[in-house]
Amino acid sequence: MKSLQILNTKFGPWLGLLSRLTLGGVLFAAGWLKLFHPAKSQMAVRAYELLPISIANFLGIVLPWLEVAIGLTLILGIAVRFSAIIGGGLMVVFILAISQASLRGLSIDCGCFGGGGTVEPGQTKYLSEIFRDAGLALLALYLIRYPMTRFAIEKLDRTVTATADEIEKE
Amino acid sequence: MAASAAGGDKFTRNLVIGMVALVVVVGASFSYFGSKGSSTAAIPSSVSAADGYGIVFNKDVKDVPTINIYEDFQCPVCARFEAINGPTLEKVIADKKAKVVYHVLSFLGTESILAANAAACASDEDKFLAFHTAFYANQPAENAGAINAEFLKSIGVSIGIDSPKFAACVDNGGYSDWVKNVAEAGAKANVNSTPTVFVDGKEIDRNTDYFNVEAFAKVISKK
Repeated sequence: MKSLQILNTKFGPWLGLLSRLTLGGVLFAAGWLKLFHPAKSQMAVRAYELLPISIANFLGIVLPWLEVAIGLTLILGIAVRFSAIIGGGLMVVFILAISQASLRGLSIDCGCFGGGGTVEPGQTKYLSEIFRDAGLALLALYLIRYPMTRFAIEKLDRTVTATADEIEKE
Repeated sequence: MAASAAGGDKFTRNLVIGMVALVVVVGASFSYFGSKGSSTAAIPSSVSAADGYGIVFNKDVKDVPTINIYEDFQCPVCARFEAINGPTLEKVIADKKAKVVYHVLSFLGTESILAANAAACASDEDKFLAFHTAFYANQPAENAGAINAEFLKSIGVSIGIDSPKFAACVDNGGYSDWVKNVAEAGAKANVNSTPTVFVDGKEIDRNTDYFNVEAFAKVISKK
C-alpha cells in the first residue's frame, strides 16, 4: 500500500504531464483547424440536427475558440483542474452528440478537426470517434483527480511534494 | 502563511479563468463579425435577397417547382454533380420548366470566395451557367493557389466574355461581401453539405437522387 503511494506521488505528476499534453494538444489542434473557417464549423454543428439552427450556428463560432483556449491552459499547466473539467465536459458532450447521430442513422462527419457536415452513407466513423473522445475524457478525469503535474506554470502544491519526501524517508 | 498562499493561488486562478473567458468572447466576436453578411453589399443583377441571395433563373415563371441548389466551386462532389446533372438543369431553365436558384457557398476557403465572386461577375454578363459549366469542367485542386484572377479570367475568355468590366470585376472582388451574404443565408437554411438540392423546400434523397441522371430529372420535374 505504502509502495503504491510512493509510486503514485513519484510518477503521478509525470502521468499528469502526459495527460495534460495529450488532452491539451488534441483540443488545441482541433480548435485551431476550425478557427478560421467559421462557416464550415457552423455547418458541422448543424449537421448533428440536435439544436435549433441559430444556437448551432452560435456554437459553431464559439467552440473552436473555447477549444484553443482550454488547450493552451492545459499545455501550459494553468488552472489545470478547471481546464480539465471544461475539457472533459466537452468530450462527454461530443460523445453524446456523436452517439445520438449514430443511433438516429445520420450520416455525418464529426467535424472534430475541421471538416464535418453530411457525408455519403457508409462513410461514417462513429465508433472510432467515440473511443478517441472516451480516452480523452479519461485523461481529463485523471487530471481532475490529480491536477498537480510536472512542468506546469501553476505551482506544484508544496504539501503534496513534502508528503512524498516524508513517505520516502520513513 | 498557508492560508494566504492558497488565497493568492485562488486569485491567480480566477484571473486566468477570466482571461480564458475573455479570449473566447473576443475571438468568437471576431469570427462572427468577420463572416457576417452586410445588407449594403453590392449584389449581381440576377440575385434576389428574398431567395437567400442566390442567382435566380426564371424568377417570374408561375406554377413550376422551385429548385434551390447549394454548392461550393471547390467541392469535387459538386463538379461530379454538375457533370451528371448540368445539362438537365440547363434544359429545364431554357424550357422554363422550373425556377432555379444557385447558391454559391464558400466554406472550403478563400479560393471558393474568389470563384463565387467571378461567377457573379459572369452573371452580370448573362453567362453564369456557361461560367459554371466551364469552371467545373476545369476545377483545380482545393486551395492549391490555382484559383486566382488570371485563371478565372481565362475561364471567362473561354466562354466568350471579353468585356473589361468582367476583368475588373474579377480583379476587384467587388462581390465578395455578397458571397458572405450567400454563406449566411445558407447557414440559416440549414445546408450542411454540398451539393444540397431542395425541390419546393424539401431536400431530395441523398441515397438515390443526386448522382443518377434519370432519378434527378424525375425528382425536379414533379410538382
